[in-house]
Amino acid sequence: MTTMTGRSMNDKCLRQLIEERDMLGMMVEAFTKTSTGVDLHYVPTKAFVDHHNELLRRYLSGEPFITSYFCCAPEIYTAMDLPWNTFLTPAFTGAIKPTFHDDIDASGKMFTGMDLCTIIRLAGYYVEEDMVPPPTAVIAMIHPCDGINVVHQVMAKNEKWSKIPVFGADPPYWEDERSYNYYADELKKMVEFLQKHTKISLDMKRLREVIKESNKQITLWQDYNELRRAVPCPHGGAMGLEFFGEAMTVHTGMPMGTAWMRDVVADAESLVRQKKGAVPKERIRLFWFDILSLGLTLELFPWLEQEWGAVVAMEMFGYSPYTQIDTSTEDSMFRGMAVRALHEVPMIRQARGVADLFLTDIERVVKDWKIDCVVYPGYMGHKDGSGSAGLMREKCREMGVPFLYIGMDLFDNRYTTLDQLKDKFSKFFTSMGLG
Amino acid sequence: MKAKTKTKALDTFREAAETIVNPELQKWIDQGGKVMGYFCCYAPEEIITAAGTVPFRVRATGSTSTELADAYLTNINCTFCRHAFNMGLEGKYNFLEGVVWLNNCDHIRRIYDNWRRKVGTPLVHMMSLPKLTADKQVGWWREELAIFKGALEKHLGITITDDKLREAMKTHNKTRRLLKQLYELRQKPNPPITGADTLAVVIASTAMPREQFNKMLAELLDELKGAEGIKDYKYRLMLVSSILDDPKYVKIIEDLGGLVVADSMCFGSRMFWEDVDEKAKDPLDALARYYIQVKPACPRMFGGFPQRSKYIMDLVKEFKVDGIIGLRMVFCDLWAGELYMQEKDWQKANIPVLHIDREYLVAGTIGQARTRVQAFLESIGGRR
Repeated sequence: MTTMTGRSMNDKCLRQLIEERDMLGMMVEAFTKTSTGVDLHYVPTKAFVDHHNELLRRYLSGEPFITSYFCCAPEIYTAMDLPWNTFLTPAFTGAIKPTFHDDIDASGKMFTGMDLCTIIRLAGYYVEEDMVPPPTAVIAMIHPCDGINVVHQVMAKNEKWSKIPVFGADPPYWEDERSYNYYADELKKMVEFLQKHTKISLDMKRLREVIKESNKQITLWQDYNELRRAVPCPHGGAMGLEFFGEAMTVHTGMPMGTAWMRDVVADAESLVRQKKGAVPKERIRLFWFDILSLGLTLELFPWLEQEWGAVVAMEMFGYSPYTQIDTSTEDSMFRGMAVRALHEVPMIRQARGVADLFLTDIERVVKDWKIDCVVYPGYMGHKDGSGSAGLMREKCREMGVPFLYIGMDLFDNRYTTLDQLKDKFSKFFTSMGLG
Repeated sequence: MKAKTKTKALDTFREAAETIVNPELQKWIDQGGKVMGYFCCYAPEEIITAAGTVPFRVRATGSTSTELADAYLTNINCTFCRHAFNMGLEGKYNFLEGVVWLNNCDHIRRIYDNWRRKVGTPLVHMMSLPKLTADKQVGWWREELAIFKGALEKHLGITITDDKLREAMKTHNKTRRLLKQLYELRQKPNPPITGADTLAVVIASTAMPREQFNKMLAELLDELKGAEGIKDYKYRLMLVSSILDDPKYVKIIEDLGGLVVADSMCFGSRMFWEDVDEKAKDPLDALARYYIQVKPACPRMFGGFPQRSKYIMDLVKEFKVDGIIGLRMVFCDLWAGELYMQEKDWQKANIPVLHIDREYLVAGTIGQARTRVQAFLESIGGRR
């Protein structure tokens, strides 16, 4: 049925979103059926389904929604009641999409090379092929890597998307007061842009409430991570990613997310008291120092746990070096969001500026989470991270902790296959005397 | 095809392109002069010159291996970076008093992180280059220029006055104007210089004491203005690329009959097509504005695609280009996107296009390049 806006559920740009929603919906069904109590994965997964439905509703009704990212002050979007979509999501959830490999191959042909980051290639391909619903406005992410900068330029050149207003906040390279103030000013400009193009005003009182709630979430996240220091570790790596998803994407500064986090913390606490781990006989505690895809959490991590007793005790997106945002004034809130967006959110924190944070994070996590080995997957899209691999190896050597560099595509499981990964891990664990 | 010249200038420039420390630079070093390295054409050469040092753009000319660098970088890092860092580790850049980096791309900015820990260059400095080009970014870049100036002053124990900066701006503008004159000669139906030699001249401009370079280029221009010009070519080509600092690669193309008459490259026209405003009240303001808003932009500058596209299209018309070769270093994400977008525009304008993904070293890629360029030239012929 076509709506008043002339848009319909049959529009090509919605197909992928609907497909993704339906696949996630099936997972939600499975959680509720198989769980004895409330499955901890239920809320985050259901949140994504609800989020997809809201995007669909807004697209059809013509109400505003935007394209943006976790590192562009999502607290502001919550305060403005502005749902946001990212055209990177399909790459992360690709493992549940039957035609995913076809998409990857087609995107490779489009960009003349398979060495361009797979997420970026796919994102560009989906926009060019009209597989993403065009938003009211785009908040472009132009850091931490070259690829993300490029794909937003490709998007802005696309005939359909070229008519959509775009704003990119300029990211400084440093972590200092000058940079934070500069970026806070960029965020204020972003708000002006959003207000102009969505016709929604940002109420500062509402923003303060959202940030206060988000601060609570950060506290719970840190409490949770404290519990993950326990041996055995109460939960595996997937839960850390879900914590991130709740705090920085679908439920940023929302009480529903906070309630879920309390449940997770309570569950972890109970397991720690009972000395029960995510893995029955924990033998290896691993730090996965990069992003995660659904495919990895569904395939590789369970194998690591079952075969080697290896638990992902910490991972890049679960790590939370966040600070509380001072809500006393408007300026302090924007400064706090700038610090969070530039210096604290995962991947941006490590990859945007100088390589030092790769090293200090390894040092902190290895010590605090009693890590037995550090795994840097060497994702083919993360050129800057791979340019820091030698330094990471040296840091690990200095700390006496084994370091594994894989060289893989986190999304295309043909690049380094699951069997090859299993082989690499087995040889690594054996040669290092782990497990 | 080859330019016929009598002055020694062109031979000097060719030698500068084939070596790291060329004889003119060696003379400067022997006299106690200091040299400051940089990795990108957004580096403020004028400040380096105003400090009484010679700016030298880091290349990996003559490198044959990445053995040492590969302990720190990986096989998904671009080969220019791996070779350049390898040369740093081998001590081949020990003649540099300092090196300045910008966060221009993911590969080069990581060379800074590794270099500062592993190569004993006395001064290493990183600058935060904005990704946008509004007035606010000019202000930020001015601050970065002032910080860099301060770092040089402290390290060298000198004061860089506004007068020295103005003098350096004049010297560098003179280089820009001379290079532009050289390019304008290539607009002729029979250009007096090949693309390979032109590239050698441009490279030399980043590797020699600047006053000396200007003097020699002026001599060369005087001679080329009256030269007969090259007639034995089939088509006029343009190169659009990131780093290409080996004239041998251009020679391969030209040996097949495609004369390279224009480019949009960072060892090329984008370095010098516009001038710095010498009359501005504050020299750092003028430099900041030049690098952020005036200079033809690199694809890493967000939102500048329409201007970059126009810049190329204007050159295509001015230099009567028959076809464009887009070159990308393998693993370069910036240029993967840029060429994808540019090629769409070129195809729309019915300009023949060849896209080549290349490695830094020409050796090993000659066969592939030759075959593809040959086929491309034939395809241009087929269109006529």
